[in-house]
Amino acid sequence: MIDLTVKIGGEAGFGIMTTGLFLGKIATRSGYHAFEYSEYPSLIRGGHNIIEVRISDEKVFSQEKKVDVLVCLNEETYILHKEEVKENGMVVIDQEKIDMTKYRNLVKKFTYVNLPFNKIIKDNGLATVMINNIALGALTYLLGAEISILKSLISEQFARKGEEIINKNIKGVQLGYESVKKSNSDGYHIKIPKTKEVIPQMYISGNEIIGLGSVAAGCKFYAAYPMTPSSALLHYLASKGEKAGMVVKHAEDEISVINMALGASWAGVRSMVGTSGGGFALMVESVSLAGITETPIVVIMGQRPGPATGMPTWTEQGDLLFVLHAGHGEFPKILLAPGDIEEAFKLTIEAFNLADIYQTPVILLGDKYLQEGHQSIEYSRIKNYEFKIDRGKLLKREELDKIKDYKRYLITDDGISPRALPGMKGSLHQVNSYEHIEDGHTTEDAQQRSKQVDKRNRKTETFLKNHTRLPVLYGDKTAPLTIISWGSMKGPVLQAMKEWNGKFNLLHFTYIWPLPQKELTEMLKGLNKTLLIENNSTAQLGQLLKMVTGIELENNKLLKYSGRPIYPEEVLEKVKEMKI
Amino acid sequence: MNASTTSNPGFSGYFPTWCPGCGNFGIWAALKTAFSKLGYNPESFAIVYGIGCSGNMNDFLWVNSFHALHGRSLPNAIGIKIANRDLPVIVIAGDGDCYGEGGNHLIHAARGNHDITVIIHDNRVYGLTTGQVAPTAIKGFKAKSTPSGIIEVEINPVALSVSQGATFVAQGFSGDINHLVDLIVMAVEHRGFSLVNVFQPCVTFNHKTTYQWYRERIYKLSNDNHDPSDITKALNKSLELEGKIPLGVIYKNERPIYTDSLIQLKDQPLIEAKLDIDLSSFMAEFI
Repeated sequence: MIDLTVKIGGEAGFGIMTTGLFLGKIATRSGYHAFEYSEYPSLIRGGHNIIEVRISDEKVFSQEKKVDVLVCLNEETYILHKEEVKENGMVVIDQEKIDMTKYRNLVKKFTYVNLPFNKIIKDNGLATVMINNIALGALTYLLGAEISILKSLISEQFARKGEEIINKNIKGVQLGYESVKKSNSDGYHIKIPKTKEVIPQMYISGNEIIGLGSVAAGCKFYAAYPMTPSSALLHYLASKGEKAGMVVKHAEDEISVINMALGASWAGVRSMVGTSGGGFALMVESVSLAGITETPIVVIMGQRPGPATGMPTWTEQGDLLFVLHAGHGEFPKILLAPGDIEEAFKLTIEAFNLADIYQTPVILLGDKYLQEGHQSIEYSRIKNYEFKIDRGKLLKREELDKIKDYKRYLITDDGISPRALPGMKGSLHQVNSYEHIEDGHTTEDAQQRSKQVDKRNRKTETFLKNHTRLPVLYGDKTAPLTIISWGSMKGPVLQAMKEWNGKFNLLHFTYIWPLPQKELTEMLKGLNKTLLIENNSTAQLGQLLKMVTGIELENNKLLKYSGRPIYPEEVLEKVKEMKI
Repeated sequence: MNASTTSNPGFSGYFPTWCPGCGNFGIWAALKTAFSKLGYNPESFAIVYGIGCSGNMNDFLWVNSFHALHGRSLPNAIGIKIANRDLPVIVIAGDGDCYGEGGNHLIHAARGNHDITVIIHDNRVYGLTTGQVAPTAIKGFKAKSTPSGIIEVEINPVALSVSQGATFVAQGFSGDINHLVDLIVMAVEHRGFSLVNVFQPCVTFNHKTTYQWYRERIYKLSNDNHDPSDITKALNKSLELEGKIPLGVIYKNERPIYTDSLIQLKDQPLIEAKLDIDLSSFMAEFI
């Protein structure tokens, strides 16, 4: 089995992220699975960046602690990360520039590969930014991959910039390749040669696949204000807007963002906004507005460590209860939390359908770990995914014609009122942030108020009847321990399960709210020993489950809130500690 | 109290709950007349209301409408216009709503030259919250939140809008309905971001800027005394705040509206764009 982690580190501004992206695509185009994890500070130049690509011939769910190959674009990378490299792992470093004699006394033994970046750049008159191409060329040789794959990646990436730029980049790649070939005739011992049958895969980030999902769902208006980790979603959609027929608006602040989207949604287009905790905090009053006006809206809420500005470029699952309670007053709200790339695609589409069906806010909880990392996925799983665009009770022309006296907030059994769009003949209505009667006029009448509250609340019951999904159990049903987790922590737990199959299973939540009390209580009662795993400090899913079912799940828990994701190794360690 | 239904072309809703003598009555009358002059029916356009005494007009006019949050009517209106460029969109809000709580949105709506019309009920005081200072309160004005008099100078909505890129800015008076009707019609017909700042006495909470106070100061602009296409002259007029106060079109110019630059809207309004899209060409770059 091939399971290889390559870590590349260097100064911010060296193009580390592109290096990781190319390496991931070399792997997928050679027929392997890949998973990317990156760490970088919240600044533009001079800070320390790393990217890790884990490559395997089996499906790979998460990053890992051990590093097989460490590529040091500067000395700092070596100093900071040498301890992570496993015994006999490989370290690629510029031994001509960096004096390695001072590290002679290290206990661990590495295989050093000298890659004289600085000399290559100087001798060939290359720009300093070519350092990442030299590294990629060297890695291609060391891993036994085909250089033609890397060359085509470069040609595709720089197609718009012209032949000259392409050739310059290819030259850098070639020089890196030749340099290590000369000094290391047989490369690294774990190789990723092109497999005979390469199944087409995409190598795509969470932000990009959420964007793709929104295009598929017929989203026509996306508004956002830049905020990590959701900025890349704005960038992706902005670059595709014209082609997708989607208007993408970078508005003056998050309050404007969500209110523009609500305006567009009322007028009739599927609308989405994207942000992180701080921006979402600004949107909260308008989440409540969406609730009372019964306007569909999809919110992509990318979590990162708070409070306030917190640690902008790191990861956490710290906003579950905040988002659950976001918005003053009582109104239905739907929360979804994808666990991986594939779920992110499907749940984005589902979010638009649920928003239209229930005419209420649907919030997708992502995080830096899921949204910024790339994962490989079979092309056909996305291409052949079948879904329907369901706009719920949005009235067609002929349906509205049959209604004599249209009422936007008609009291119905399922709590959902037929929705006409402004501008349609026979649609005369108002949507109202004040409490209102059926036709939208303001009211303070006790009976009318109670009727509208009940109507809106009935949407939750209808959702629980028609659309809720219980958490999914992964792994051996008879395992003595059940790990309970949600959202992006699915990956590290599934990865750990590969090591210790049969010892534990995973109960994973993607449908976070509303939760079906009875079924869930039965389900939790039926479990043996449990272990709650969350990327936050207060076990927020545990608190929520206790609120709904009365069952205390917090006896055994693994919580991490350092800004870093949970590692599969930490899951195994915790399970070991529990002496199952 | 019964709201009239779609068959009523007169835009009538409930009878207003404003104080007798409130300036809102004049603006209400002017709006209804202007809509008739424009040939509108209650379903052919949309109004976005802010929160305040002015926003309460949502129940007194029966028109397709969105009663927004305090301060947020402009972004709602922009979103509506982007989604359905063929639907005329009018914002009705107060000075506290649009110049205070939502002041940032005004600047950016003007910059974008979004094709919406904003009618501001400027009474220089907070009415619905029972008498605190507004951003347009004259320096020294004493109110519940400033018993010793407001320290700040008043905001200058006309100068602000003109300088930030609005392409039609006018000033009206609720005590002169006929004149106001003309301004509203011109503002709605203008292609681009238009703002009409309407002076409106608050008979209950503002005893300084009364009908009498305005009548002593206002004068009308015409071709003889002003050229609204000249931005320098317009900005000069905008500085006449207390001595003499100009009414009429202060600034008017042409430049492309926001949606003109959106290729996505070239062939049809956004609400008519097709939803089913073949993903293959979007997926290729990730292989």
